[in-house]
Amino acid sequence: MGETAWRRCSSRSRKALALAGLEARELLASRAWWLLLAMTGPLVGHAFMTAVESYAEMSGAGGGPAALAQGLSPLDGLIVPTFGAYDLIATFLLPFVAIRLIATERESGAGRLLVQTPAGLGARLAAKAGVLLLGWLAAWIPAFLALGLWLGYGGHLSFREVAGVFLGHLLHALLTIGCAVAAAAVCRSSASAAIVTLGFTVGTWALDFVAAGRGGLLALLAPFTPEAALRTFEHGELRLALVAVLLLASLAGFAFAALWLDPFRSTASRVLRSAALLILTVGAAALASSWRSGWDLAEDRRNSFPRADEALLRTFRQPVRITVHLAPEDPKLSDLEINVLAKLRRVLPRLEVDYAAQSRTGLFEDADSHYGEIWYAVGAKRELLRSTTEPIVLAQLYELAGVAPPPGETDPPYPGYPLVAKPRGAAILFFIAWPLAAGLAFVVFRGRRRSSCANLV
Amino acid sequence: MGGPETQDGHLLAVHGLAKSYGPRRVLDEVSFIVRPGEVLGLIGPNGAGKTTLFECLAGVLSADQGEVHGPGGRALAPAERRSVMFYVPDGVAPWPDQLAGSVLLLFRDLWRLAADRLASVVDSLALRPLLNATVRSLSKGERKRFLIALGLLAPEPLLLLDEPFDGLDLRQAREATVVLRAEAARGRTLFLSIHQLSDAARACDRFVLLADGRVVGEGTLAELRSRAGLSDGGDGMEEVFLALT
Repeated sequence: MGETAWRRCSSRSRKALALAGLEARELLASRAWWLLLAMTGPLVGHAFMTAVESYAEMSGAGGGPAALAQGLSPLDGLIVPTFGAYDLIATFLLPFVAIRLIATERESGAGRLLVQTPAGLGARLAAKAGVLLLGWLAAWIPAFLALGLWLGYGGHLSFREVAGVFLGHLLHALLTIGCAVAAAAVCRSSASAAIVTLGFTVGTWALDFVAAGRGGLLALLAPFTPEAALRTFEHGELRLALVAVLLLASLAGFAFAALWLDPFRSTASRVLRSAALLILTVGAAALASSWRSGWDLAEDRRNSFPRADEALLRTFRQPVRITVHLAPEDPKLSDLEINVLAKLRRVLPRLEVDYAAQSRTGLFEDADSHYGEIWYAVGAKRELLRSTTEPIVLAQLYELAGVAPPPGETDPPYPGYPLVAKPRGAAILFFIAWPLAAGLAFVVFRGRRRSSCANLV
Repeated sequence: MGGPETQDGHLLAVHGLAKSYGPRRVLDEVSFIVRPGEVLGLIGPNGAGKTTLFECLAGVLSADQGEVHGPGGRALAPAERRSVMFYVPDGVAPWPDQLAGSVLLLFRDLWRLAADRLASVVDSLALRPLLNATVRSLSKGERKRFLIALGLLAPEPLLLLDEPFDGLDLRQAREATVVLRAEAARGRTLFLSIHQLSDAARACDRFVLLADGRVVGEGTLAELRSRAGLSDGGDGMEEVFLALT
């Protein structure tokens, strides 16, 4: 690296550090963030204690009949409910922290000064995003304390399951931050930006709800709403398409904010570029949504066929086409999606699914509409089946493909992890110690910074 | 610090700048020049369009029409004006929850200034006792001195200060004038928006008189006096202003 390039790089790093320092101080000065931090303790604590008690009951606490051990998974019984507190926090508290970082700058006039400095808008937004993410990660300390307690009680945890659900929440938070930052950049007041952000969230809930009863475009969009995406991660599945679409949407929020925070652009230019950005994002997201790669992170492999079947299915070279005559509100379609179609999408090289039902409920379909039928075609061979059970469907596919099923099941059965434990120490830790520690840190920060500047100038 | 000049020896030439808010014409065909190294005063009553003119000049508000020519006579797009001028708005409290000192340090780091430059600006505006105070807690006069300091730290050849004396008492206003004159003596060009005529007369070399969004006069006090048809002797800035507006 030449000396000039080195100097340029050093200059950029110094500016980036200065901006990161500014944003970190802004976050630490934000009461909204400290409040978020303090509230995570009780919210996570309540979720964790409820989960531990329910898990103990299912494991046969108090002498009652235990559920089948194989059904007791820490993913469903502990990780998902405990981390679920962050769904609430990301939806209702995090937007205010993100909006404040943008809105304060504009309302105080700082933005008009900063835009004239060598600090580029991109670098400023990157600093905000980085600091917000760090702030969000700090709020995860109670969740990891909860996992520590669980291990201390003798509980079992799978790193892959924890990482998967954590990633889901992280992407959810990123999307919330992207949306909040975009809203704060466009709206003139923080209150309006908060309303827009919450409106977006409620809109995605509505989309999720409506899509459950309708097919078509809505059903295509619904899996990418924050709540639906989170459910996928909570089910122990990591889909590359989901990660890509959520990241794209979050980045689009920041790019949108950059357009509207740039005072040197006219409104017409902003509107035109926003439209172009929207088209570009939708196009890229549509492309990314077709990616089928994914991983089953659940220890019980609930999202996968047995390994031998998956290996055999991956060798299918002929296209597989499935025509489903089931309406969106039919529970059989839901079973088919979870038990068969989602698993097939990950392993079959060429799969096409056609949803052929004409109505929402299927109750009043025409007599000749073939309602309830599921047609499987492999190459030129085609067969009707009404079952949504995994082994039956697999047997049908092997028969159509003219291959012998793999030899008997080789996967070791999931053992299950029953645990009878009481949430000892959780109440003190989450309801008293954590909020007190957050409050104390706030007071100490405010006291220390007052003696930080005079000697530096 | 020698400022770059246009082909005609001007640092900045403004041609036909106009801005409307709905049916209300706030700036109307505003044209004037800024010479390198001078302290130029933008004089006008409240509502004359001084702040709008500064914001359009700096590019942070888009003008409806008009051009701003920079050094070399080249028309400057709004985003390019950052390289020529730095604008300090009036009535802002940037980063209210930050310490005044940390904001000054931020500006030093962004522009990679030498430590002694920051120290000299801080001392010249008597800001040292305020470094550990939050911007929110500064009084109006203290905040004004803090904003002037931010402007002085910016290295651009032209500094636009909106109402730099507003909120300062007589002694502070005089001290600030000395600081600004010293900055001009270093070769920097200052363009000050002022509505107090006594402050303007004390601080500025030349004046642009703005009334109802129009330039009604431009020049030194003597030139304006002559244009207003007033005697060379006792008529001060106030008489000139009243005569021309």
